Amino acid sequence: MSKLLNRTMKRFMGYAGLVLIISIPVYYYVINMLWHHELDEHKIELTAAAGREDRYLIILFVTLLTVLFFLLLMIGFILLNRRISKRLWQPFYNSLAQIKGFNLDQQQTVSFEETDIEEFSELNSSLNKLIAGNIAVYNQQKEFADNASHELQTPLAIIQSKLDLLLQTKLLTDEQYDLIEDANKALARVTRINKNLLLLTKIENSQFMDKETIDLSELLENSLILFSIFSENKNLVFDKDIATGVTIEGNKILVEILLNNLITNAIRYTPNDNTIQITLNHKALFIANPGTLSLQQEQLFKRFGNTSAETPGTGLGLSLVKQICSRYNWRTDYTFSDMRHIFSVTF
Amino acid sequence: MKILIIEDEPALSKSIGAYLADENYLCEYAGNFGQAIDKITVYDYDCILLDLMLPGGDGLKILEEIKEQNKQDGVIIISAKNSLDDKIKGLQIGADDYLTKPFHLPELAARIYSVIRRKQFGNVNIIELNELKINLLAKTVSVNDNNVVLTKKEFDLLLYFISNKNKVISKSALAEHLSGDVADMFDNYDFIYVHIKNLKKKLTEAGCDNYLKTLYGTGYKWEI
Repeated sequence: MSKLLNRTMKRFMGYAGLVLIISIPVYYYVINMLWHHELDEHKIELTAAAGREDRYLIILFVTLLTVLFFLLLMIGFILLNRRISKRLWQPFYNSLAQIKGFNLDQQQTVSFEETDIEEFSELNSSLNKLIAGNIAVYNQQKEFADNASHELQTPLAIIQSKLDLLLQTKLLTDEQYDLIEDANKALARVTRINKNLLLLTKIENSQFMDKETIDLSELLENSLILFSIFSENKNLVFDKDIATGVTIEGNKILVEILLNNLITNAIRYTPNDNTIQITLNHKALFIANPGTLSLQQEQLFKRFGNTSAETPGTGLGLSLVKQICSRYNWRTDYTFSDMRHIFSVTF
Repeated sequence: MKILIIEDEPALSKSIGAYLADENYLCEYAGNFGQAIDKITVYDYDCILLDLMLPGGDGLKILEEIKEQNKQDGVIIISAKNSLDDKIKGLQIGADDYLTKPFHLPELAARIYSVIRRKQFGNVNIIELNELKINLLAKTVSVNDNNVVLTKKEFDLLLYFISNKNKVISKSALAEHLSGDVADMFDNYDFIYVHIKNLKKKLTEAGCDNYLKTLYGTGYKWEI
């Protein structure tokens, strides 16, 4: 790749060089003619040797002068090119830098510098239009997710209450009870998906902005205690290697959600009677659980990327993790080695 | 016991009313801001269930009004918004509890029970049910005056059942109650068995009648 102006300059230089080379015989012919004309006028006769010498001299000087002018042209072109590309293209580079720094997620607006060059000004206004359109669509989409989830809460509450009431009907059969319970379970799942969607929208809307210093070691230990009712039920053991006094800066609610989602996943997808390894040091957190097959990395952190009948999660847990990590510029990773799924967060 | 349900969705307030009706609760309804203000000004309630998004005004204004009138009514906010700001604001103004929609009716009943107990029995908050005695403040339980040592979860479960007497409680409602906000893993409800089994065992071993019945295989009912 080369810069646009360098390309045009090469052509210009080539053309100038060509013209100058062609000019050498032309100059020679013209000067030679004039020279002979003058000699004839003043009736000066030259010896053959002197005439040859003159011809060579003329050729030499014409060539030298041509090369000199060519060099002058070249230097001029290069200097001019530099100045032009700096001055003329400056608005373009400014706009480019603006676009490079633009991030739809971060909601900042882009303002291009005023320019008196028509093409760039047109480019900038088109870019402005494009970006404004993008921001509008993005906001609409977020608003939609937010509104939709809110609007869903009330009908969900109604269904839930009706099921709870239905359960109070005298003399239900076991079969009817099971039907209600199945509906309850599905409803609980919808509710969770909805809550997580709301949460995602809130994080994307840059809520939860307040930060504090969090003792991650302590928070992690507390979360593990909280989850012990689930892990004990599956007869899982936490193999902990948690350094004490690891602190990070962040929003406590978000960090809690991050930990809970990672631990939940590990517990959910680990078969009974196994060990989950949890390692925390000052640089990173690792949660490893046994597995048989590597997961699809590119689908893993996407919304609903990995949901299936066998994995009855909300499909949003890991995208929440990713969203929270990207807020604080932490890195999330997944690797599969030694028949273990290893999720890590590097601070 | 008088309860005011301030909720603009009639299908929901009807369900709540129907569930609470057999529990000695008398329910009244307000479907919009104006009705709610009228009712709270004229009457006293033991507990008010308050939806925050109402036609005609902000639910938090009603809460402010209740506090301004120096009413002693207990207030539980039931909101579709799971917003921490609203929660903190509501509790600061003086709500007693905050429940996010959707919720299980037994959960709501348990919260109402606890708010009313707290408001009305203050320092001597002891529930007596035949041979069973529960001290809510000290969190102790005794059967025929013999102490029964329960874990926090078991004590919690016992209260949950007692505030939902003679109601069928589904496994999913129990699971949600026990795991609270933290868990995203209700697809496995088995963890509640252990707690219920232990609670039952401890109570019967201390000489308590078996009030906790298993229904339909996985449902429960505190029959008294």
